[in-house]
Amino acid sequence: MSRAAPGAGAVARRWPAGRAVGVGALIVLVVLAVLPLLGGTSNATLLTLTLMLTSIGVAINWNLTGGFTGYVDFGHAVWFGIGAYATAILISLQSNGPQVGWPPVPAILVGALVAGFLAAIIGRATMRLKGPYFSIAMLGTFVALREIVRVWSPLTGGGVGLTLPPYLNRMLFYYVELALVAALVVGTWWLRRTRFGAALMAIREDEVGAETRGIDTTLLKTAVFSFAGLSTGLFGALWAYQNTFVDPDIAFVEVRTIDAVMGTMLGGLGTVAGPVLGAAALYWVRELLWTHLLDAHLLAQGVLLIVIVLFVPRGLVGLVDRRGTSLFELWGWKGWRLEGRRLHRGPAAGGEAEAAS
Amino acid sequence: MSYFAQALINGIALGGMYTILVLGFSIIWGVMGVINLAHGEFVMVGAYLAWMASDFWDVDPFVSAPAVFAVMLLFGYLVQRVLVNRIIDRPALVSLLVMFGISIILQSVMKVTFSADFRLANTDLDGAWRLTDRLTVPVTRFWVLVVAVGVTAGLNLFLGRSRLGKSIRAAAQNREAARIVGVDIRKVYAVTFALCIGLTGVAGALISPLLAVQPFQGPPLTLKAFAITAMAGLGSVRGALGGAMVLGLVEAMLALYVDRIGTNLAVVASFVLLVAALVLRPQGIFKGLRHVDATST
Repeated sequence: MSRAAPGAGAVARRWPAGRAVGVGALIVLVVLAVLPLLGGTSNATLLTLTLMLTSIGVAINWNLTGGFTGYVDFGHAVWFGIGAYATAILISLQSNGPQVGWPPVPAILVGALVAGFLAAIIGRATMRLKGPYFSIAMLGTFVALREIVRVWSPLTGGGVGLTLPPYLNRMLFYYVELALVAALVVGTWWLRRTRFGAALMAIREDEVGAETRGIDTTLLKTAVFSFAGLSTGLFGALWAYQNTFVDPDIAFVEVRTIDAVMGTMLGGLGTVAGPVLGAAALYWVRELLWTHLLDAHLLAQGVLLIVIVLFVPRGLVGLVDRRGTSLFELWGWKGWRLEGRRLHRGPAAGGEAEAAS
Repeated sequence: MSYFAQALINGIALGGMYTILVLGFSIIWGVMGVINLAHGEFVMVGAYLAWMASDFWDVDPFVSAPAVFAVMLLFGYLVQRVLVNRIIDRPALVSLLVMFGISIILQSVMKVTFSADFRLANTDLDGAWRLTDRLTVPVTRFWVLVVAVGVTAGLNLFLGRSRLGKSIRAAAQNREAARIVGVDIRKVYAVTFALCIGLTGVAGALISPLLAVQPFQGPPLTLKAFAITAMAGLGSVRGALGGAMVLGLVEAMLALYVDRIGTNLAVVASFVLLVAALVLRPQGIFKGLRHVDATST
C-alpha cells in the first residue's frame, strides 16, 4: 500500500513536516541530555526519568512486532524478566544462587543475549500461529516461564529471589538508557525506510502474498521478534542491576506488557513516534492517577484502554499523520479499511502489490 | 498403584471443575467469534458473589449458585449491550483489547471493594470419602463434577433440541445464512453472551470453596480455558468435557510424579498443551461449532 512505500511526490510534500518532527525530537533529546548536568536533579528524579525511558524502550520494541509485523504479543514482558534474571544470576553472589560473580558489563550483555536467544527459539514456534492464537500463546509463554523461574531454585533462587551487589550511579544508568532509546528511535525511523521494514509491513498486510513475492517471512519475522526480545532483555538487565533485587513477581509483571501495548496504541501503532509519545504520556498519566486515585488507577487504565481502542484507533500520531496502521487494518475484518475517520468496505484506493516489492 | 488410582480420581474431579469453567468461554468464542479475555474475571466475580452469600448470610455456594447465575446473566446482558455489541464485527484485536480492558476494570473494582485478601466460601459438602484405606474422593469436587456433567448434558440438549439453541448453532455456522432464514442475530448474540456469563458465574460460585477467591485469580483461569478450548474445538460442549478431563488428568499426574514442584508446573502444562494443540491439530480434537484454524489468517 502507498503508505508502506510512499511515492517520490508524497515524500517531497511531507519532507518539511518530517524535518520539523526531526528537529523537535533533537531538541527533546538535547534537553533530556543536559537536564541532569544543570544540577538540582535528585537521584529520585533521575530514577523516575530512567524508568520512563525503560517504559519507552519496551514500547518501541513491542511496536516492532506488534506494530510493523502485526504479531500482537501479549507476553512481551517475559523478555524483560529473562534479561533481568540472566543478569542477576551471573552477577549475584547470594548463597541460594549459583554464585558466578561476573562483572556487570558482560553480565548485562549476556543477559540480553540470553533473552534474544530464547526469543528466537520460542518465536520460531509461536510465530507459526496467527492473530489471537499468537497473542494467547505469548501470554502462555509469559506465565509458563515465570513459573519455571520460580521453580528452578538452584539456578534462580526460587520464589525468594536474588540480591545483586548495589551499584547506584543513577546518572550513568540514565545516560545509557537515554542513548539506547535514541538509538532505537533512529533505528525504527531507518527501518521504515528500508526494504526490510517494507517486507515486515508486507507481512502485516498479507503474509501469504509476501511469501509468494519471495519474502522469507519466517526468517524476517523471527529475526525482528528476536531482536525485540534481545533489546527488551537489555532493558530488563539494566533494570535488574539498578533495582539490586529480582524475584519472579517483580521481574515478570503483566503490567509491563500492558504498558507497552497501551503506550503504543495511545501513540499510534506501527509508527516511529507513536510508542515514544504514547509510552511517555502513559507514564505521566499513570503517575498522576497513582497519586490521585491510588488503588483505582488500574480501573482508570482499563477505561482508558477501551476508550483508545474504540474511539482513537490510530492513536495520537494518527490524529496528524495517517501513515501508521490502525486497529481496523490489523487483523482486519475482511475488506474493511479506515479512511480518515470513516470505516469503508471495498478495495483499497492504492495498489496492494506495491508493498511487497 | 493406589497412588496412580488416587491421581486418576483427582484428575477426573479436577476435569469436572475445568469443564464448567470452560463452557461459557468456548461457546462465546464459537458463536460470536469474541475471545473473552475477561473470562477469568467473570469467574472471579461469580466466586465473590458466592463468597459474600456464604460469609454474610451463611448460604452454601451450591445453594446460592442459581442466584449467582441470575445476577451474572443480568450482568452479562448489560456488558453485552454496552460494550460487546460494539466489537462483534470488528477485527479480533479490537475485541481482545476491549475484553482485556474489561478484565483490568473488574480486577481493580474487586481489589478496591474487597482488598486483595484471599477468601474461601464455606460449604457443607466438604471433606473426603474414604473408598479404601488409601483412596479418597474429595467431596466438594465430586459434587462440582456432578453439576458439571449435568450442565453439559443440559446445554447439549438445549443447543441440540430447542429452537433458540438451534438458532445459536446456526449463527455460529454461518451468520449470513442464519440471518436470511430469519434468525434474529442480535437477539441470539445477546442471549448467548448473557447465558455464557451466567454459566461462568456459576463456575465461579462452585469453585469458591476450592480455589482462593481474590481479585487476581482470573488470568490463569482464562489461560486454561483457552488451552482447553484450543484442544476441544470452538463451542464444542462435549469437546469441552474431553479437553477439561485431559488437562485435569495431566495436572493430577504432574502433581503425583514430579516431586514438590509438580503443582507449580500445572500452568506450564496447560501452556504446552495449548501450543501443541494449536500447532499440531489446529482444527481441534473434537468437532466444534466453528473450526479453529490457528495457522492461517
